[in-house]
Amino acid sequence: MGSESSVPTDRRSVLAALGSGATVLSAGCLQRARNLTGWRSTQPVTLRIKTLPTDADPYALALAREIASWFRAAGIETEVLPMAEQELMRQSLLRTEFEMFVMRLPEKFRDPDALTTLLHSRFADAPGWQNPFGYTNLGADEALERQRRADGAERRATLERLQRTVARTQPFTLLTVPDDIRAARTGAGPNWQVTDLRSPVGYLRLAGEYESGSEETVLRVVTTDRRATTNLNPLAVEFRRGGALTGLLYDPLARSIEGELTPWLAESIDLVDGDPPSARVTLREDVRWHDDEALTAADVAFTYDLLADTTLGDDEEDAEVPSPEFRGQSSLVDDVSVVDDRRLDVTFADADRAVVPRALTVPILPEHVWRDRTDTAAIGGIPVGTVTEALVSNNIPPVGSGPFAYVRNTPRESLRLERVEGHFSAREGADFPDWIADPAVDALSVRVVGSDVTAVETVADGEADVTGTAVGAATVPRIGRADGTELVVRRSDRPYVLGYNTRRPHLDNPRFRNTLARVVDEQHLGEHVLDGYARPAVGPLQGTEWYPEDLEWDGGNPVVPFFGRDGELNVEAVREAFREAGYQYEDGALVGGST
Amino acid sequence: MSLFTVLTDVVAVVLVLHLLSLGAVRRLTGRKFRRGSLRENVRAVGPTAVVLGVLLLANGAVRDVGVELSWLIGVNITGAIHAVEGTFVADLQSIASPELTAYFSFVYVFGYVFLLTFPIVLYALHDDARPLAATLVAYALNYGIGLVCYVLFVAYGPRNFMPGAVESLLFTNWPEVQHLTSQVNENTNVFPSLHTSLSVTVALLAARYRSAAPGWLPIATVGATSVAVATMYLGIHWLTDVLAGIVLAVFSVAVGARVAEGRHGDEPSATETDRRPAGGVIEQFRR
Repeated sequence: MGSESSVPTDRRSVLAALGSGATVLSAGCLQRARNLTGWRSTQPVTLRIKTLPTDADPYALALAREIASWFRAAGIETEVLPMAEQELMRQSLLRTEFEMFVMRLPEKFRDPDALTTLLHSRFADAPGWQNPFGYTNLGADEALERQRRADGAERRATLERLQRTVARTQPFTLLTVPDDIRAARTGAGPNWQVTDLRSPVGYLRLAGEYESGSEETVLRVVTTDRRATTNLNPLAVEFRRGGALTGLLYDPLARSIEGELTPWLAESIDLVDGDPPSARVTLREDVRWHDDEALTAADVAFTYDLLADTTLGDDEEDAEVPSPEFRGQSSLVDDVSVVDDRRLDVTFADADRAVVPRALTVPILPEHVWRDRTDTAAIGGIPVGTVTEALVSNNIPPVGSGPFAYVRNTPRESLRLERVEGHFSAREGADFPDWIADPAVDALSVRVVGSDVTAVETVADGEADVTGTAVGAATVPRIGRADGTELVVRRSDRPYVLGYNTRRPHLDNPRFRNTLARVVDEQHLGEHVLDGYARPAVGPLQGTEWYPEDLEWDGGNPVVPFFGRDGELNVEAVREAFREAGYQYEDGALVGGST
Repeated sequence: MSLFTVLTDVVAVVLVLHLLSLGAVRRLTGRKFRRGSLRENVRAVGPTAVVLGVLLLANGAVRDVGVELSWLIGVNITGAIHAVEGTFVADLQSIASPELTAYFSFVYVFGYVFLLTFPIVLYALHDDARPLAATLVAYALNYGIGLVCYVLFVAYGPRNFMPGAVESLLFTNWPEVQHLTSQVNENTNVFPSLHTSLSVTVALLAARYRSAAPGWLPIATVGATSVAVATMYLGIHWLTDVLAGIVLAVFSVAVGARVAEGRHGDEPSATETDRRPAGGVIEQFRR
């Protein structure tokens, strides 16, 4: 933070010198003082990393501390500050009150088009997971726009170019891609090794293959994340992780089932090529909200309008407040027109037909509940800021249309959902896999505990079926020792990243960030902090078809290789690199700013 | 093992400790407890006890509010505390052994509850109302000031800040107990350590009113020291929290004793004839 206050500090020291009495206040002296204040003195570079405490995330703090120790070795005073998940997201994603954060990227950034909201400069001032870094790069902007409209080889080449640019300019440093470790009760029935608990569909699969040990068929999930017990608003930025639970409460038009985007709330989706492309969507028959109102095409149209602008303001005068969480999807939709109760026409924005189906994955919200949430949010009747009620409401009780409905919650402790009788997914002829069509549970309960160790023990004691949040590698022996408990390790799509606030001094300099990234040994982090339950990577699209070959990990980072070996920093090499970047060292401390 | 089992365990163990200690104190003092003094004392300190009760209830009720408020207006001092004291807790943990962990875990959970509840029983049966009144006032101050500090300061304990260097010994060896601790506290409420401040309060009061139950002072002293060390040994509190806890205890006892003696008379009671001088800090807390 030091350099932020550098000018006032200098002024202050000059004033102090003037006031000290040693100086006679003459015109010449004041002239000299003015001259002096024009020169900024060098300031030591200090940084602060905000992240989660160990109770909330098994690795984030250890990663941050390891990084801080490398930065300190490089002469940069670095502080680590832990805070609750909700608070961290509020400070870094909504208020941009951060220099660096260590967090896991949401899963949605595995889709190349989602990178648009993550990195396009148009979103640099937008809240949520929309360019929280404030990254502005015209080359990247252009590539992001082009990939939307291109197809085939051209889209691939554009995306590869984009990823190389991002890897070099480092709006964030990808630290490591962890494996998600979970403890599960073996007797609960399903083949845990293929169950994917990151998505609502994964939970549906679990619900379909569940075998209860007792009379009651309740799928019991234990988690360390208490946010879902206090807020079930799918649009609330700081409360959502993967949206698995809200995805059970709300239905999208289409869901990805076994890797394939399948019509869900829609009975059919006919994509029409064209410029721009469009789609005729037919909803399933007789779909009802959990409060028994009928779900119609008007609700779908309303949802897209709401996501694009939660104020639903008609006139051009008022500022729009789009939903940050679904900005990528809603920006793909140009217009939705209702044909009749069950049919609607979606006109997409100017984008390739391979890109647009993503727009169909947003949760459909009931108009009769959300129409009242378009006003500016107020505390005690007094409007605060410009944010709408839709974005900050805790939405409890939620009225959805999904296969599970809300029953009750105890804030910070528990949440209970019950299966909806007669949900369309379980109707005859709906043509879903058996595990969706024939669910084996009546309810789903979520219980919050203090840390991953306690979560594992809760499963080991037979009081829960699975840990909903991933647990740390340190609990693996404990899971192994426990009878009837299975260790589930799955590759995850949510890398840990060190995000830079590129609006801040020094961090606004791509060369500085590039050099910082070379002070981080990703391989060492994976092997030592995550005990090998991780793999290093360069960009968030790693492992997808869009990832360029030359970014593959090759014994080291191919773009920003570590200065040193096996976690040992070569301090001389770092200093040389920072000096080349225009920085200097004073008593071993990195100093910046012009002299 | 669920929350209920942990809770019944705590109640059972603490009850046993109570009975054992009452027997021991009776043998040491050689006096019988008078039922009459219990009734008189309850009447005398009634209002104070109500205040403490209300405060404890409020503490439970506003805990969630307090946390929300704390994130809104509190200062996150975790980094500052670490900058001040560095790796003290990690160094302390280097002496860790299974026996010590078992001892300190026991002290942290059972010993602490016993240490807090026993003086109430002991002083309630004593024929002077002042020790009981002082204890209740001091407890109320501890909780009240502690609550304000928890709103003003957000801090995570060493186990949450230095994974790897500091182990969360209590919760890794005895995970079930987290069901209990997460019911009564938040992991951001570490400054000051109320475990330390309340235990030290008990020890200071034991010193001040040691004539009421001479055998209690050494137990309370060992207990309070063990609790203070346990909070650090188990990775839950920083040294800074413990020191702040001691300061809070000294303040609470000073005010508590003044209030009690102002209200219930200052003249020494019949049983307090065997006063002996004590040195150091403790002396300041004797009248």
